[in-house]
Amino acid sequence: MSVLSMRYGKKQHLLSEMDMPDSTDALVKLAIKAGDPYVAAAVHELATGISKRQLEMQILESRRTALSLARWEHTPSSVLAALSNIGDGAVDIRLDKNPNTSSEVLSTLYEDASNKRNLGLTRLIARHRNSEAGILKGIVLFEDDEESLLALSKNPAAGPEVLASLAERFAGSELAVALNKNIAQNISASPDLLARIYAVSDFHTRAAIISHANCPGALITEATASDEPLIMRVLAKDKTVAPDVLLKYAESDDAGVRCGVAANAAMPLSLISHLLGDSSELVRREIASRRDLQVEHIAVLMADQDGWVRQRLARNTAVPLQVLASLAADENSDVRRAVARNAGCPVELLEILAADKDDWVRAAVAYQHNSPQRLLVGLAGNDDVDVLSGVANNPNTPQQILEKLVASEEADVRRGVILNKAASRNTLLPLLEDPYYLHRILMVANPSMHELDKWNLREDPDYQVRFSVYRWAVEKIAPINTRYIVGNEVIRRRRV
Amino acid sequence: MKILVAVKQVAALEEDFEIRADGKDVDEDFMLYDLNEWDDYSLEEAMKIKESSDVDVEVVVVSVGPDRVDESLRKCLAKGADRAIRVWDDSAEGSDAIVVGRILTEVIKKEAPDMVFAGVQSSDQAYASTGISVASYLNWPHAAVVADLQYKPGDNKAVVRRELEGGMLQEVEINCPAVLTIQLGINKPRYASLRGIKQAATKPIEEVALGELSLSADDVGAGKSMSRVRRMYVPEKGRATMIEGTLAEQAAKIIQIINEFKGA
Repeated sequence: MSVLSMRYGKKQHLLSEMDMPDSTDALVKLAIKAGDPYVAAAVHELATGISKRQLEMQILESRRTALSLARWEHTPSSVLAALSNIGDGAVDIRLDKNPNTSSEVLSTLYEDASNKRNLGLTRLIARHRNSEAGILKGIVLFEDDEESLLALSKNPAAGPEVLASLAERFAGSELAVALNKNIAQNISASPDLLARIYAVSDFHTRAAIISHANCPGALITEATASDEPLIMRVLAKDKTVAPDVLLKYAESDDAGVRCGVAANAAMPLSLISHLLGDSSELVRREIASRRDLQVEHIAVLMADQDGWVRQRLARNTAVPLQVLASLAADENSDVRRAVARNAGCPVELLEILAADKDDWVRAAVAYQHNSPQRLLVGLAGNDDVDVLSGVANNPNTPQQILEKLVASEEADVRRGVILNKAASRNTLLPLLEDPYYLHRILMVANPSMHELDKWNLREDPDYQVRFSVYRWAVEKIAPINTRYIVGNEVIRRRRV
Repeated sequence: MKILVAVKQVAALEEDFEIRADGKDVDEDFMLYDLNEWDDYSLEEAMKIKESSDVDVEVVVVSVGPDRVDESLRKCLAKGADRAIRVWDDSAEGSDAIVVGRILTEVIKKEAPDMVFAGVQSSDQAYASTGISVASYLNWPHAAVVADLQYKPGDNKAVVRRELEGGMLQEVEINCPAVLTIQLGINKPRYASLRGIKQAATKPIEEVALGELSLSADDVGAGKSMSRVRRMYVPEKGRATMIEGTLAEQAAKIIQIINEFKGA
C-alpha cells in the first residue's frame, strides 16, 4: 500500500477524528505514528530520549531524505544539527549553505573542514550569516585561501573586531584592495576601520565608504572637496551635506549628481525651480516625487513630456486633488494607474477610474483601500484576473463577493481572498481544499481559521502542508517564550 | 474514443550533486523526480478534449519506468486521467528514446487509441524523439511541436499549429489517428484537486510486463539501443569571471564589458 493510499484509506478516517494534541508528548507521539520524515522534522526540537531517536530514524530513513532536509530552507536547526552527525560530505555542503544551520553546527563543521583542508566547506562557513565571530576570527588568522577571506569580508556576522583583524593582517598586500572594497560595504565595519580604509583607497571604495551608515562625519566633509562624479553622486543624496555644496552639485555636468540633489530632502527649495527644467528626465522624475512642491512647480511637471515624470507626480500624496483629477484624465494609462494607486486618491476619482478602458488602471482601483464597497461590487463583474485579484485582496469587499471569488479558476484571485484580512472563516472554508498547495499552507497561517480547520490539514498529500501544520502545532503547544543572544545568534527557547 | 498520453518521470538536479560510480549518470540520491513539464501540457490537452466532448473520451496515460514512476502516474490520475499504465522490466534499464518508443508502440497497439499525445521533449534528456519514434513504429502521421490543436473526437482530421523558428507558426492539417508532440504553453495545466488526489490514491495502476507486449528482455535495454551513454561529466569551467569591487564599480565594469562587446 502506498503512503498516499494509507493517508487516504480507512486509517485516515480514524486519525481525522482526533483532536489536536494538547501536550508536546502527545504531539511527538502522533508525529512518530505518522511515519513521515517531514512531520518528524517539524516536531523534532520538542522530542527527547527514545522519541527523539525514533524521529531521527524517520528523518534519516534514506540518504535522499537526509539530503533533501539538509537543503530545505524550512528545516529547523535542531534537525540540521542531527543531520550534521551522520558524517556525509554531501549533507555537510547543504548544511553549510542552509540559512537555519546554527553556529554550533557550523563550528563543528569548520573544525572538520579545517582538519581535512576542505576549502569548499571553509568558504561556505566564511560566508554563512550564523557563523560565530570566533570561527570567523580563526579563518582570518589562519586561512590563506583568498576566496574564503573575500567571502568573510562580505559577511556582516564578522563584526567590527574580526573585520579590523582582517584588514590589519592583509594591509599593504595585493589582496587588501579587494578585501577593503568588501569591508567598505559591510554593515558591520566600524567608523575607525572605514576611516583607515578611506585613507588608502581608490574613489570606488571611498564612494562606498561615504555611503556607509557608519561613515564618520569628518570623512563626508573631506569628500566634498572631491570632483569625482561617483563621490559627488553619493554626497548629493546625503542630507548632512551643506546647502552650498548641493548648490554646486546642482550645476554638475553629471546627471547622476543632479539626480542625487533632486532626491535630497534637505535641498534648498530655490533649487526646485532650477531642476524642474533639467535636460535629464531622471532629474525631473526625482523632483516630481518631492513632498515640498509648490503650485507653480506642479504646473510645470504636469506638462512634462516624460510619462514617468507625470506618473511620479500622480503617486505623490502631497499633490492637490485638482491636480490628481487632471492626471486621472492623462492619455498615458500608467499615469492614470498611478493616480488610482495614490493613497490620497478620493472616491470621486476612483469612480471615474473604475470605468477606465485599461484593465491595469481598474486593477489599481480594485486594490485601493479607499475604494468603497459599491465600486468593488461593480469591479467584481470584470473578467480580468488583475482586477479580480484586487477586489479579492481589498478589505472593503463584501463577504458575498469574496465567497464567489473563492471559486475562481484563477489561483491569483483565490490567493487574494486568503490574504484579505477581512475575509471571514466561512468565506475561507472552501479554500482548505484549494488545489494549489501554497494556498493550503497560507490557510494554516490564516488567523481567521479555527484550530481544527488547520489541524485537519495534517494529512495533506503535500509534504510542505503537513510540515507547516505540525510547525504551527509546535508553536501553538510550545510557543517560543525566551530569546537570548549568544555570539551572533538569537537563541530561542520553547516553553515545554 | 480514446486518447493515449505518453508521459515520463523526469529527474531534476540539485545545485550540488555527485556522479555515479560508473560515471554514466548522476547518483540517484541527488535527483528530484517529477512529471515531465511537457507531459503536463499533453495531459491537459487530452483533458480539454475529454471535457468538451459530447461523446465519452477515455484518457489513458502510459509510462515506461520503475516503481517510483507510479507517483507521476498518480499525479496524472489526480488531474483526471481515467487509467494509468506502467511498463517495466529491469532489463529495460539503459533503453534509449527509440527503444522506449518501441515499448510504447506495443502498448498503443494493444490499447488502440484514436490519438496519441506526447511531450515535445523530456526536460532531463531532451532527445525529443520518443513521440516521433512511436509514430514511425506505428506508421502513423505525426506533427511535432504542436502549439495549438483543433480536434473533435471522431474527426478524421485535426488542424494543428506548429511552432517554428523566429516566432513563426505553421498550420497543418493532419490525418487521424496521429501522434502529436505537444509544446509548452498550448494550454494552462490544472492543479490536481485534493479530491482528485484522494481518488487517484485508490485507483489501480496497471503494471504491464514486457511479455504481455510480445517483447522480451532481448528487445530492450542498452544492448538493443542505437545510442549508449559513454560517460557523463561536468565540463571544466569556461571563461566566466566574477566581477568584484564595490557595487558602483561592478556596474561600471559591466558597462565597460557591454561597450567592448558592442565595439563602442
